[in-house]
Amino acid sequence: MLRYIAQRLAAAAVTIWVATVAVTLLIHAVPGDPVRIMYAKFQSTPEQLEAVRTSLGLDQPIHVQYAMYLGRLVEGDLGRTIVGDQPVLDVLLARFPATLTLAVASLAIAILVGMPLGFLAAYKRGTWVDIGAMLVAIVGVSMPHFWLGLLLLFFFALQLGWLPVAGSGIANLVLPALTLGLANAAVLARLTRSAMIDIFDQDFVRTAQAKGLPKTVVLYRHALRAGLVPIVSMLGLQFAYLMGGAIVVENVFAWNGVGRLAIEAVFARDYPLIQGFILFFASIVVIVSVIIDVLYAFLDPRIRYG
Amino acid sequence: MSKSLLEVRDLDVVFGAGRHRQHAVEGLSYTLGKGETLAIVGESGSGKSVSSLALLGLLPRAARIERGTAHFDGEDLLALPEEPLRRLRGDRLTMIFQEPMTSLNPVLTIGRQLTEGLVEHRGMSEAAAEARAGEMIELVGLGDPARRLAQYPHELSGGMRQRVMIAMAMASEPDILIADEPTTALDVTVQAQILDLMRDLKARFKTSIILITHDMGVVAEMADRVVVMHRGRKVEEGSVGEIFARPRQAYTRDLLAAVPRLGAYAGTAAPRTVVDSPAEVDRRAPVLRARGLRKRFGGRSWFGRGDAGVLALDDVALELHPGETLALVGESGSGKSTAGRAVLRLLDVDAGEIEVDGIAIRELGRAGLRRARRQMQMIFQDPFASLNPRLTVGALVAEPMLIHGIARGRELADRIEGLFHRVGLESDHIRRYPHEFSGGQRQRVAIARALGVGPKVIVADEPTSALDVSVQAQVLELLLELQQSLGLAYLFISHDMAVVEEMSHRVAVMQQGRIVETGPRPVVLNDPRHVYTRALLAAVPIADPTRRRGVLPRLDTAAMPRGPLTEIAPGHLVAAGAEAA
Repeated sequence: MLRYIAQRLAAAAVTIWVATVAVTLLIHAVPGDPVRIMYAKFQSTPEQLEAVRTSLGLDQPIHVQYAMYLGRLVEGDLGRTIVGDQPVLDVLLARFPATLTLAVASLAIAILVGMPLGFLAAYKRGTWVDIGAMLVAIVGVSMPHFWLGLLLLFFFALQLGWLPVAGSGIANLVLPALTLGLANAAVLARLTRSAMIDIFDQDFVRTAQAKGLPKTVVLYRHALRAGLVPIVSMLGLQFAYLMGGAIVVENVFAWNGVGRLAIEAVFARDYPLIQGFILFFASIVVIVSVIIDVLYAFLDPRIRYG
Repeated sequence: MSKSLLEVRDLDVVFGAGRHRQHAVEGLSYTLGKGETLAIVGESGSGKSVSSLALLGLLPRAARIERGTAHFDGEDLLALPEEPLRRLRGDRLTMIFQEPMTSLNPVLTIGRQLTEGLVEHRGMSEAAAEARAGEMIELVGLGDPARRLAQYPHELSGGMRQRVMIAMAMASEPDILIADEPTTALDVTVQAQILDLMRDLKARFKTSIILITHDMGVVAEMADRVVVMHRGRKVEEGSVGEIFARPRQAYTRDLLAAVPRLGAYAGTAAPRTVVDSPAEVDRRAPVLRARGLRKRFGGRSWFGRGDAGVLALDDVALELHPGETLALVGESGSGKSTAGRAVLRLLDVDAGEIEVDGIAIRELGRAGLRRARRQMQMIFQDPFASLNPRLTVGALVAEPMLIHGIARGRELADRIEGLFHRVGLESDHIRRYPHEFSGGQRQRVAIARALGVGPKVIVADEPTSALDVSVQAQVLELLLELQQSLGLAYLFISHDMAVVEEMSHRVAVMQQGRIVETGPRPVVLNDPRHVYTRALLAAVPIADPTRRRGVLPRLDTAAMPRGPLTEIAPGHLVAAGAEAA
């Protein structure tokens, strides 16, 4: 088990390291002079630009830049924003709770709606319940986040007036969380359905039936418990998908999280902030997948004692 | 002999509807007496499993019962609503299945799986159920109940898992145990132990057993009475003595005749001759020679510990002459399949020399190896998995000939047709896809495919163990015929000693990666010197109810002599130290 966790952590470290390399190279992928683009809006003299270039280390060879970047990173320094000249990490951390709230609420909706729907569809496979559930799921998977978000806004905020259009209170959380949650519920429902169909056909489910256990025990203790193993393993990927969706949804609903911050940073050409955001985001996704891998091991004894 | 406990009348089970409607079981009737073991035998598709699943209400979704009654203790099982049937199921009527590897829930402990039925049906407390589970663990010979109950299925071997299944099924002291091919997936020595255990528990609990099997050896050993099924119908019914001694129906006679019997060829040095004029072959030089083969799986740890993993081949040496069959026998995990793949270089060994037709194939590069592969082909166990489902069988047979540039166009088509006829298939089979064929026909396709390039050596890895006995007999016949007319050399990998006796000239017995005994087939099978060879032979069920299988010698694998081999008679080599054992 310890060995398993150590392996996961090592893999996570490698992934984050790749992200640091990508982030360093990013600034050079921009056509033209990054410093001129960043400061295009300000009336800057060539001397000022040169000073910025030096302060960002852009006058150094690329490997030196990378070493400097890594060195600062170790000290927790992600650089300073161009707009407002604040530490990037502080700006990100200030916005993070909002995104975390949205992500957790959405994941809860996705799990509470998607898993029962998929389970039911698998159990009733081939019937109209299954077909209906999967039709809804396909619509959910196919619909872009922003479009679903706009539809929900139109009905619940504008037509019915039940919920506010934008802002950052609890009532404001409902619509963005629903948007993101339902889209993910659709994915999760399809996943749960196929995992459970697999499980229902397994010999050990037949054994449980042959033992004369009540249907609920067969379904929950035997089938669902075993089905959770593949489902949970997919939740890691699901979370990455959900975080990607959060960027869009936060902008639709003016939810003040890191996703909205990221879009602001892109429009402002705030490179240090964009770099910081990518690295931050990648780290969150990686950390969550490590947590899910560990959870997975707890569900599956074959890994726990592997 | 006894009052009837279960009476099945006119059972019809149907799959599908409309034009796909098909009878899986038709008009089946039988009775089961108290304390009796009734064997239901038949080949695949005979309806033997389906008829028993129907009794417990466990039929697959596509199947339904159309007609029939099954009276047990004053009630008709087939007419009972789900709830009362569920109360009987797992308590008074229990079942064990063929696949011990997949029949236990991987995420629940053994203890949980053993106790839940007792808690459910007997209303036992967790503690009482656990005590009973512990007793059952002892009774099925697993020992150390406290530890066992805390374990998960993946920590146990197949044989141990089947013991757990038996413990589970017998814990409630049921009236009827339905055992669906309970030992088919197990090694022969483990099978013998499980059969002994079932007999023992049956006597102790006075349980009646419905034993579903295709194995006539198991029938002879276990059954009191036999029902023979074919295509959903009962062909014949009788006491085990009658069925074996005086089968009345042609189907039963054919079935019994097809069963390979160990000892049937004890007096002959070579397989029977099945062609009029066997090919002349020069047997002086071996066509395949391997020495010092070594292969370790896994064990490539981060810190480079050399002793991790499993030693699948440990100093294995083989020699095979033209026109000869060397049988490689052993149980699962013995390394016999690994050895077969290694000599074809389908996997790379860690050390050793392999020569095919005088060419050292471990030294060859890509092109050289491809040329050398013309000399050697392989036939696999599972004819369902080893043929690409998206190609016609004609294309599958053509493929190796195209790869080796042997024939093209009209000539290729002619050759394919010739090969199809050679292996007993028809010309109009060529354009069909693998799923349109039965298992035996697919194995014929696989053989045609192997023959196309004109090989000298064929490695056949359990070529008939997935087939029904009547089909197996035909495929074995074909293999003998091809060998004798073409002078082929076979490396014949098998766990079935009776098949080995029928097919081989020489035998090599493998155990945990080492050859522990090898020599001429009559010598090794009639006068085995290694304790493991003796155990393998003693465990083979005898398809004759008037004879008893030998008593299993106690096997202590750790203390077994493992070599090096010493020659005790011309050509007969045994792991050193075995003589004393």
